[in-house]
Amino acid sequence: MIKDISIVIAGRAGDGVLFTGNILAKLLKRHGWDIVTTRDFPSNIRGESTNYTVRASLEKIYGRADQVDILLAFDCDAILMNMPKLARRGIVFCDGEGLEKVQAAQLRGRTFHKFPLKRLARETFGKEIYKNMLALGALSYVLDLDLRVTEEIITDAFLERKGREIVQKNVQALALGFEKAREMITERECHPLAKRQDRDRLVLSGDEAIALGALAGGCRFFAAYPICPASEIWQWLVKYIHEFDGLVVQTEDELAALNMALGASYAGARAMTSTSGPGASLMMEAFSLSGMAEIPVVVVHVQRLGPSTGIPTKSEQGDLTQWIYGSHGDFPRIILSPGTIEECFEFTAEAFNLAEKYQCAVIILTEQDMGQNLRTARKFDLARIRIDRGKLLNQEALLGIQNFKRYEDTRDGISPRAIPSLKNGIHMVEGNEHDERGYRDENPGTRVRMMEKRMRKLKAASKDSLPPKLWGDKNALCGIIGCGSTLGPILEAEKRLEAAGVKTKFLQLTTLWPFPAKEVSRFINSCRNIFIVENNYSGQLSSLVKSQVSPCLNLQGVRKYSTLPFQPQEIASQIKKGL
Amino acid sequence: MLNKDDYQIDTPTWCPGCGLFGVFEALKRAAVSLSIRPDELAIVTGIGCHGRLNNYFKSYGFHGLHGRALPVAQGIKISNPRLTVIGVSGDGDAYSIGAGHFIHAVRRNVGITYLVVNNSIYGLTEGQTSPTSPRGFVSISTPFGSKEYPLDGPSLALAASGGFIARGFSGNVAHLSALLQKGLTHRGFALIDILSPCVTHNKVNTSDWYKQNIFLLDERAGYDCGDKKQAREMLCGAEKIPVGLIYLEERPPFEALVLSKPGKPIVFNDLNPDLQKLAKIMVKFE
Repeated sequence: MIKDISIVIAGRAGDGVLFTGNILAKLLKRHGWDIVTTRDFPSNIRGESTNYTVRASLEKIYGRADQVDILLAFDCDAILMNMPKLARRGIVFCDGEGLEKVQAAQLRGRTFHKFPLKRLARETFGKEIYKNMLALGALSYVLDLDLRVTEEIITDAFLERKGREIVQKNVQALALGFEKAREMITERECHPLAKRQDRDRLVLSGDEAIALGALAGGCRFFAAYPICPASEIWQWLVKYIHEFDGLVVQTEDELAALNMALGASYAGARAMTSTSGPGASLMMEAFSLSGMAEIPVVVVHVQRLGPSTGIPTKSEQGDLTQWIYGSHGDFPRIILSPGTIEECFEFTAEAFNLAEKYQCAVIILTEQDMGQNLRTARKFDLARIRIDRGKLLNQEALLGIQNFKRYEDTRDGISPRAIPSLKNGIHMVEGNEHDERGYRDENPGTRVRMMEKRMRKLKAASKDSLPPKLWGDKNALCGIIGCGSTLGPILEAEKRLEAAGVKTKFLQLTTLWPFPAKEVSRFINSCRNIFIVENNYSGQLSSLVKSQVSPCLNLQGVRKYSTLPFQPQEIASQIKKGL
Repeated sequence: MLNKDDYQIDTPTWCPGCGLFGVFEALKRAAVSLSIRPDELAIVTGIGCHGRLNNYFKSYGFHGLHGRALPVAQGIKISNPRLTVIGVSGDGDAYSIGAGHFIHAVRRNVGITYLVVNNSIYGLTEGQTSPTSPRGFVSISTPFGSKEYPLDGPSLALAASGGFIARGFSGNVAHLSALLQKGLTHRGFALIDILSPCVTHNKVNTSDWYKQNIFLLDERAGYDCGDKKQAREMLCGAEKIPVGLIYLEERPPFEALVLSKPGKPIVFNDLNPDLQKLAKIMVKFE
């Protein structure tokens, strides 16, 4: 019986690969399977080749597989590109055109189902785009997927936007694909998938989970500038935030986005912005203002491949140090790194509490892999959401205070906060160094006192922040450290290593700053070998660990910066070599 | 009843003769006549000599980054439209480092009043050429004379679909105060570019120079500030610098268009999650 399957849909940008892949992911999820998708897209809208992989498993999975079992190819290039990944007994659905270019060795052992997908789509439905549904129909036959479920999904996706006629045409194409497959493919060539109950589960992207987390966390103001791969947060929020009386502002640039969010937050709204790559660099200026003026704000950074414009649709972890050490001057900041969809939701909702409690910027650092790819998740536990606004004063409390000081030098460094329009709360918010009342003060004594007051907040925050998570065999002597979306491939690699007789444990860093030095130190001391897995060239996470934990012995880096996320096997083999 | 002293927390220390004194006085007068309570007023300043205004004028104050007063001010106003929000910048703040924000704030039309105290020089950094300095201007940054042409804020605002475009002169406090009152009661974005001498660094655009080179639009018979064509001609072709309300067009402000309950500021929202609503949205991902 099949317990794990990876399906690639491959074509060209504009072919409808993304849409088809999303439908397939949802379809398999509704059949009770766990899902991880991978979109491998060029940074353009039409023309270049595009891949969308859906991995489905009966077990809980976080990462992708090393191989592909089924390939739905819309052109010859798609076949040539994906053949090396195809498993030995893999299946290919294709037009058949250009098959002669595939090397004989690669054909051997693999099954080819030749469908005139495009022609059939053109002739029957008048448009080539229906090839997607024909292919899905054929796939449904081979995998014994319930066509009614696909119909439901298509109806949900299309009815509102495109109307009943389009839905019907798509459903017809689906049925036709199914029929054609039945005529051509023998029962022996079919691989019926098990069906399980699909209960209390979701399938969504990290960007979507973050948007939902923001709504649950009380976000009412969202300002951003369009950028790949973070725009989905916005596109999703803009659909629903008005139901919570909130709004979205499209700003002229990222400088404005963060400054505007700071203005909204100063006025008393829970505010957020999201960005990536170059946009984050533009935000560095206002990031520092959040530190000096002590204004809560949440920034989501969905990392893409850099430097510069880089490759906007590919994943990387090259912006860790930018947020940890970036901008001018010293100031407190909190940086969270969710590794699962559930964490994207939970951390975002919690980020608003942390921001208000410590009156600083909280950065949610994810990657394109987490942001744009779909994964199954447990239904979010909404009842667990708590709103904690920290030392924000209401009118009554403010009236009871004599001589309100916005930047009062308190034991924990956190000062009471008032919002404009409240009586007895008039104060000044200052980007210049200032005294407790907020007025500019260049006196060395004041400077030292206020700097120490601000930085003291981090101490309190470090006791309150999300601790690292330990995965794997607690007694293992081989330790892996990682954060964010490398969690998936690391957990997969652990399985492969275990099968090869290597026991490992994995420390997932969820808070990157304030750095959980004690926990990391304890973990490192309990290991004989340490591997730090990260998606960048220079080992930014390694540098961070080395700078915060000393003496830091034998750290080995497992790094990738090739445009593609880690394959589990890559991590496993590098660890085996390094032992 | 509020009086001018209710808005003053400290004595300004700008250079004697600085145009900012006139702006400060005009602002106090406007606030008194409109009875704006200091705790219902937020003033956001940029970086420059004007940025000290928060230290002297009593209100909720925000002194942030160079060139970024407008995004902050808009964020405040949208989140709490009940507040009166004033942005104050210099010409460097508004037309150079913050120029991008400026044109987009104009077209976004959030209901704030934006004062650009325009002295055609960088005063706080000891006198560099600014985007409104005349061509050939000699300063420490352009000792051989500026090779760039100046820009005109009100003209930019007109091109960016501004609905309230005015120019004032810090040397005519009564006129400026009346202009401020109009700006503060305008529902959308109001630009008031204020010609203001820098006595220390700008020896060209002095108080006397302004007096000789401006004229009051109110005294120009037949000028209709509701007529965009006239406004354009006035900005492009006038023999002297027009001072007064150049263009006025009433439109609903941004916040009235985007907030589902403009009367109930989002800052007073109950943030406890509406579990039913959220659960309903979550279904879409099942």
